[in-house]
Amino acid sequence: MERLNLEQLARLVGEPPTPREQAALDANPALRRELQALRAQTAALGALPDVLPPPDGWKALRARLAAAGLLQGREDRREPWRKWMQAAAALVLFAGGAAFGWTVGVAPESGTGDGTAAVASDGATPDATPVSLDDARAAVQRAEEAWAAAFDDYQRLLGVPDPAPAPRNPASRLAAVETIWAASRAAVEEAPADPVFNEILATMVAERHQLLRNISRDGWH
Amino acid sequence: MGIIEAELIRRACEGDERAVRALYDRYAPRVYAVVRRIAGDDDLAHDYAQEAWIRAIRALPGFRGDSRLSTWLHRIAVNTAIQAQRKEKKRKQLEAPFPDEVPVAPQTGDVLLGRRLEEALAQLPPGMRQVLILHDVEEWTHEEIAESLGVTPGTSKSQLFKARAKMRVLLAGYEDELETREAEAWSG
Repeated sequence: MERLNLEQLARLVGEPPTPREQAALDANPALRRELQALRAQTAALGALPDVLPPPDGWKALRARLAAAGLLQGREDRREPWRKWMQAAAALVLFAGGAAFGWTVGVAPESGTGDGTAAVASDGATPDATPVSLDDARAAVQRAEEAWAAAFDDYQRLLGVPDPAPAPRNPASRLAAVETIWAASRAAVEEAPADPVFNEILATMVAERHQLLRNISRDGWH
Repeated sequence: MGIIEAELIRRACEGDERAVRALYDRYAPRVYAVVRRIAGDDDLAHDYAQEAWIRAIRALPGFRGDSRLSTWLHRIAVNTAIQAQRKEKKRKQLEAPFPDEVPVAPQTGDVLLGRRLEEALAQLPPGMRQVLILHDVEEWTHEEIAESLGVTPGTSKSQLFKARAKMRVLLAGYEDELETREAEAWSG
């Protein structure tokens, strides 16, 4: 019986075995288990997540970019999470008041379409803080809808004669997730111990990771 | 390329700090992940990532959109890290334990497995590590790896198989975690 070493098995992770190698595998359960472990290891490597850069990464890079003459104008001194929250709030207003309920306390179904922020249908201010991961996921769903609405408005403002429908597909979802992800990441940088920010960030990171995997597997549509 | 990203690129080419920052916020984790794994060390990774971003912003006016911006940035990051490693006369010893504060992104149940994989990656010799990361993590072909590293595709394959085998030894005892993770991936 042919014996296969680890390097030979490592090749079989992605290549078909020769007849002799197949015979060896058929005859030896331990070899099959080892090959299975190598395949699992390879799959796990392929699923490794992104890694957040150091919190001061931008500050250091900004200094080097400025020294290299690659930045023009004044320094953007706004605190990052406020900047992102402002961007998120602007998106909400742009979308006619829909969604982002947990970010700015606006009811998702109460958009007016006239560019003003809406209030909850019962007149009460909705809870601005997600109490569970399900709430956060629901917020992502609402953000996706807000994104699609904003896209439609944006095309109208640009005067596109026959605007295409907003991309209600993984790309629009990813855009919405990335908006919240960036905002929550910036918020955590400013308030690292805040449990709400951390929970939202964890949810967004996991959601983004899963979404990217789905897109990688199924494509963008 | 979307309207918003195209506009960000145009403004970044003009030196608009907000546009550059927006691109950085969007792609920094992806860039940092690949250089961190190639470097096997946080201090080096920080330097490589900074250098990669400076190269990218400098080269941005030449970006024609033939590939996605993320792919283009990723190439620059990989090439920067590989070139920087070549220049080093002496590599730091990699036996140091993996830092506790490495901020692996997802906070799901696979964090522990991710840490073990990162620890094992950091223990591989640099040449093996580069090939394994580029092939099994980044899904490059052997031809792409060979071109980037200046070796033959056959050498890339050989290094890959050695690296997988070495990882298997380093990860011995974690079959259950790996197989559970793979089963979840298939069911998900």
